[in-house]
Amino acid sequence: MNKTADRIAAAAFLAVGALFMAESLRLSKSAYGSAVGPNVFPFLLGLVLVFLSIKLLFETRSYSDAADEKPPRQYKKFLVIFIAAVFYAALLETVGYVITTFLFLVIGFQTMEKGALWKSIAIAAGFSLGVYGLYVKLLQGTLPSWPIWFQ
Amino acid sequence: MSTLSFLLDGFQTALQPHNLLFAFIGVLIGTAVGVLPGIGPMSGVALLIPVTASMTSGLSPEQAAASSIILLAGVYYGAMYGGSTTSILLNTPGESSSVVTTLDGYQMARQGRAGAALAIAAIGSFVAGIVALIGLVLLAEPLSNVALKFGPAEYFSLMLLGLAAVSGLAGKSMTKAWIMTVFGLLLSTIGLDNVSGVARFTYNISYLYGGLEFLTVAVGLFALGEVFKSILHNEMNSGEIAKIGRVLPTKADLKESAGPIARGSLLGFFIGVLPGAGATLASFFSYILEKKISKHPEKFGQGTIAGVAAPESANNGASGGAMIPLLTLGIPGSGTTAILMGALIMYNVQPGPLLFDEHPAVAWGLIASMFIGNVMLLILNMPLVKIFAKIIQTPTKYLLPLIIAISVFGVYAVQVTTFDVFLLLAFGLLGYWLAEHDYPLAPLVLGLVLGPMIENNMRRALTASNGDYLVFFEKPISLVLLVIAFLWIAVPFVMKLRGKSVVINEDM
Repeated sequence: MNKTADRIAAAAFLAVGALFMAESLRLSKSAYGSAVGPNVFPFLLGLVLVFLSIKLLFETRSYSDAADEKPPRQYKKFLVIFIAAVFYAALLETVGYVITTFLFLVIGFQTMEKGALWKSIAIAAGFSLGVYGLYVKLLQGTLPSWPIWFQ
Repeated sequence: MSTLSFLLDGFQTALQPHNLLFAFIGVLIGTAVGVLPGIGPMSGVALLIPVTASMTSGLSPEQAAASSIILLAGVYYGAMYGGSTTSILLNTPGESSSVVTTLDGYQMARQGRAGAALAIAAIGSFVAGIVALIGLVLLAEPLSNVALKFGPAEYFSLMLLGLAAVSGLAGKSMTKAWIMTVFGLLLSTIGLDNVSGVARFTYNISYLYGGLEFLTVAVGLFALGEVFKSILHNEMNSGEIAKIGRVLPTKADLKESAGPIARGSLLGFFIGVLPGAGATLASFFSYILEKKISKHPEKFGQGTIAGVAAPESANNGASGGAMIPLLTLGIPGSGTTAILMGALIMYNVQPGPLLFDEHPAVAWGLIASMFIGNVMLLILNMPLVKIFAKIIQTPTKYLLPLIIAISVFGVYAVQVTTFDVFLLLAFGLLGYWLAEHDYPLAPLVLGLVLGPMIENNMRRALTASNGDYLVFFEKPISLVLLVIAFLWIAVPFVMKLRGKSVVINEDM
């Protein structure tokens, strides 16, 4: 088990628990017709989470210090795809489903492995148009269609 | 008698053409999900919830719920079938419940008996599926009748027991499992309070008033977390597949595996009914059992057919057994059943003892469709196993971005806000990080699903007792449940302190 990671996690969960406790103190303490207000359950849970985080913090002391060998990670690939996904989400409603999905997929495929551009384009186009056609035209669902300045 | 007529009604529901189609699509996709390494049954079911939601949008609510749960359950047990295929052919289990199958399955494949191994896995899964269904039919009514007598205090304690069971068995560290459970419960308190209508932890963000959408969280944690891991760890499939050869098993094979299948099915079923002990544990135990009682224990690991038949029957039996606490008590015993429960709640169908009275078409339709689905799987798997083996070769470079695109589509189609898409990506990151550091994700989802119910029952019980917390200990059934919950946590803890190794469930 990774000592640093678990310490970070324990600290984060401790903060989350404390935050929920503090915030639930601001909630109304009573509810009409009920003896228990909406503040009780989150407060108790926050308390339990704080205790558990402290327990985890103590447990990390007995971890061995030797850092485990990590195999190389593909951070670059991941970052490109993740940022592309964030842009995909951000532009989905303004640029429309078909174009954003197509672009995201082409970028994704090419980031995973360069080359075979035409195949990537064909699969991306097939997926984005296929989903749009099936879902919007056939099933009458709602998806942002084309760019808003286009309509 | 009434059970039989309800079951017949269920068959009427399940045999409607569109439901047959849904069951077929479900088991087909399920098998594919099981075959593809990297997508487990949990992410498979989570990914398909939005797809089914849009497919069933033209039906009445009750029919839509029945049809989509038929499809989703099909994915669940289809994945159990498919998981064996990669274990046998590639020596890489498609999901954790078929890890044990690799021991003898891959050896059989190397000896040129892959076809027989696959066929026995399919037959074993089929038998186990039927055994689990008979158990479900027999136990459903009596169990839900017991549960109907439960008041809010008993319910609260029962759900606490469910959480204790799952958290006590999940993952490498019990502390981490508990942290995830409590974190899930805390996340469930975000949104408008059911009782008082007070907005909790929403900070005036209007999207949060309805609470965190279960679907977004589940797809993010499981499907996206899994994809991010595959990208970061550069998990590519090499695609060296063993030749399948003759598919039909010989008479000797069948004779040799009849016992293991029967024992594996029963053992798997009973393990599945217990909350927390999922298919992985069932397959593991049944393999050990067969090895213990076998006349030739040295043959295990060398490619004996019993070593494939037993765990494959057990994991399917367990997935059927896990439906019992879900349908009758409303307590999901594993991550996948928690997701199925979330799906039912999305359709305003509350699993639990009232399910059989209020939504007989959903409950019995599902049970009947599982009969039909198992037959479909057997027919599908015997001749088509060679085609499914081809799915393994789907290049990961296309698969991973496509899973992201499907997740985004699914969440947007149901929620129609980009807020949820961002939330999806955030939970994907969180899911990757947590799983990477051995924080089990199933308890988090379980907490999120059960949270509102636990809170409501707790507050109702406390209101009835005028705020006296002793009410949970004064009611005998509630007290018994709490004691069991306590023992469930305490016993492994004490055993660990005394230096015994405790069997744990790595994921469900």
